[in-house]
Amino acid sequence: MKKILMAGILVSCSTSLFAFCGFYVSKASGTLSNKTSQVILARDGRKTVVTMYNDFKGNIRDFAMVIPVPVLLQKKDIRVVEPGIFQRLNDYSSPRLVEYYDVNPCMPRVYEKDDLMSVQESVVMKSPKAAPTARGYGVTIEAQYLVGEYDILILGAKESSGLQRWLSDNGYKIPESAEEVLEPYIKSNLKFFVAKVNPKQATALNNGFLRPIQISFASEKFILPIRLGMANADGDQDLVIYGLTRRGRIECTNYRNIDIPSDRNIPLFVKKNFGAFYSNLFQHQWNNEGRNLAFLEYAWDITPINPMKCDPCVGNPPTQQELLTAGAWWLKQADWSDYSDPDMDLPDGNNQTFFTRMHVRYNRNDFPQDLAFQVTPNRNHYQARYIVTHPANGDLSCDEGRTYLRELKARRKKELRQLLSLTGTNMHNWQKDLLSSDAARHEPEIAYAHVADELKNETETEGQGAGMMAWVSALMIGSAGFLRWKGMI
Amino acid sequence: MRNQLFFMQPFTPDARIFQVLFQSIFLIYGTVYLEWAQRSWLYAVYIATAIITQLICEAWLRKHIAKPWEARWWKLTLPGLPSALITAMGLCLFLQTNHTTIAIAAAMLGITAKYFIRIRGKHIFNPSALGIVAAVWLTGEAWVNPGQWGNGFVQFSGALILGIIVVTRVQKLDISLAFLFTYIAASFIRQVLYLQWPSDFFYQSVSTGTLLVFSFFMISDPKTTPDHPIARIIWGIMVGLLGFWLHSFEYINGAPVLALVLLQPFVPLFDMICRSSRFQWNRLPVQHVHAHIHH
Repeated sequence: MKKILMAGILVSCSTSLFAFCGFYVSKASGTLSNKTSQVILARDGRKTVVTMYNDFKGNIRDFAMVIPVPVLLQKKDIRVVEPGIFQRLNDYSSPRLVEYYDVNPCMPRVYEKDDLMSVQESVVMKSPKAAPTARGYGVTIEAQYLVGEYDILILGAKESSGLQRWLSDNGYKIPESAEEVLEPYIKSNLKFFVAKVNPKQATALNNGFLRPIQISFASEKFILPIRLGMANADGDQDLVIYGLTRRGRIECTNYRNIDIPSDRNIPLFVKKNFGAFYSNLFQHQWNNEGRNLAFLEYAWDITPINPMKCDPCVGNPPTQQELLTAGAWWLKQADWSDYSDPDMDLPDGNNQTFFTRMHVRYNRNDFPQDLAFQVTPNRNHYQARYIVTHPANGDLSCDEGRTYLRELKARRKKELRQLLSLTGTNMHNWQKDLLSSDAARHEPEIAYAHVADELKNETETEGQGAGMMAWVSALMIGSAGFLRWKGMI
Repeated sequence: MRNQLFFMQPFTPDARIFQVLFQSIFLIYGTVYLEWAQRSWLYAVYIATAIITQLICEAWLRKHIAKPWEARWWKLTLPGLPSALITAMGLCLFLQTNHTTIAIAAAMLGITAKYFIRIRGKHIFNPSALGIVAAVWLTGEAWVNPGQWGNGFVQFSGALILGIIVVTRVQKLDISLAFLFTYIAASFIRQVLYLQWPSDFFYQSVSTGTLLVFSFFMISDPKTTPDHPIARIIWGIMVGLLGFWLHSFEYINGAPVLALVLLQPFVPLFDMICRSSRFQWNRLPVQHVHAHIHH
């Protein structure tokens, strides 16, 4: 059947994306959750720009966070950006559902529809002011800045217990397991970036929404310190990483990377619940592949002059200005905050930009190490893309129409099988869901429910087939052994 | 001494066949189970290029002895083909690129260097390691990912056991173990004793398949390592230390491969200082073949 692309539909895979890779330390008692983080990593040469999304919920006076950083950051290395950039990157690179429409073979017709485009820009920088001081414990406050609504301290420490005491004496509540994590960082000469909200600046904020912090530094290390973030988190945490480079994809070097399954035909009814479908799929694949790995969800060349930044587009591709906001400093002809460090890679007019979206679900047991990355020259495009196909409408009584209906049935069976293998659910569950939900009283669901019945029977006989195969092979091997024993072969 | 370790000699004439076999098992495991499928087109390129280059080099070398259309030429040439396959397999297991030309160049460089970069009749560079290093660090359009193996215990033990079998059969376990112990010990000292990471952090960094495949299938190549037993151990330790340093302090991915290539020019030096009998892949019937190559 001829199919025509109708439209791309964005369904956000995770409804609540928030928090980041450092860890929240609470000034008041209470549980702060950071289950899903979003981070933008812009990297070229030795320079990295890290932007951490902040979706802290609660009294902003209680907010504080600690991030290990490889070098002593200067004031110009820290800035605050508008949170919209994360939404933009997420919308642009989310796993996508595309719809195709079958053409009625008895009465061909064509549908077509396009996405709307809109542009949104934002860059904000704030200047510093004096911040509070503290001393002792083998902890040195190497720098303190006021950036936007944040009071920022850069701490250097001699030993973790001192750092821990300093933090708790200054009213920060530190998770108990943090010390085992702090010590290796101190020994690796990492500095600690401590941010909390400046009450005066915070009152000026509209609706108390904290903005993402962006830091930049030059270092051979290209790591994301997730270990610290595990300190106050229970269970699995999700991390979505948006990588921006000039060369190509980023990939994880100390864990396996695999592509999330893509380009699969799935049943039409999944359209209504694509978000749930994708989170089931992710969970199943994650379990199936052994948990300690990173999934690739999107990879595309988004160089500003590249005319095709996605296919299909589910969100507007980020503009050059947005990429600059996200930390891709090379897109600006002049450097963005006057780096005088000769080690810094200054923009040279080459504004190639490659976008990678990785999704990691981590926990303490499966991820003993921080995520280490490398920039590869791999510029192959990739997207997590799932396809639903609407059946043809109208009179299908012609010969071609009857053939089409037969094929449709076979295709639905295939789609159901695909759904089962992607999400790891079993046929009985799906059939129950199909028939029980009120929303399912539409034609496609019923059609699938019928096919599901047949499919269930088939998979049962297939199971018997496999058993038969095992018996036959055992028999063959046995008889071959017998003949060999008798010296006949 | 040498014959004691050749207890399996009667079964197979050439340990390289086994090595190719084990490398193929790892390759199939990686492609099917670890889903490296997206680069499987490279395998054909590496294998074809390696074999063709080897045949061309052999034809050139033997042009005064026999011609490729003579049966005698093939009799002399065929026993060398497992080496080309090992090189190709090494490239398949490590080197990723999106460009066919780079894949071809890497395989060609590895094989030709084997024939033409020689000191006292012994080639200097491990063909696949040289191909990898040149492709990654000279072209910038290829890469090595140490994380590609994950950290499954099965492959850990599998690589260990299979590797030991292969290496034992060509009596070169010493160098693999010297390298591996050095690397693991250095990692342990730095990560656990000095930085005080928990032990699973350390386990994660040494249980990677890349390290084990490198130890048992790349550094173990008897043709590009010193001949003298003591020199071999020292050299293995040197590769381990340099590889560890490049990995831990220079943040280089695929550091052991780079360390190997950087240290291989010192092998002739070791051979000069400590003289010992030269290794031959297959001493009985093929010895005269190598004699031809060497001179």
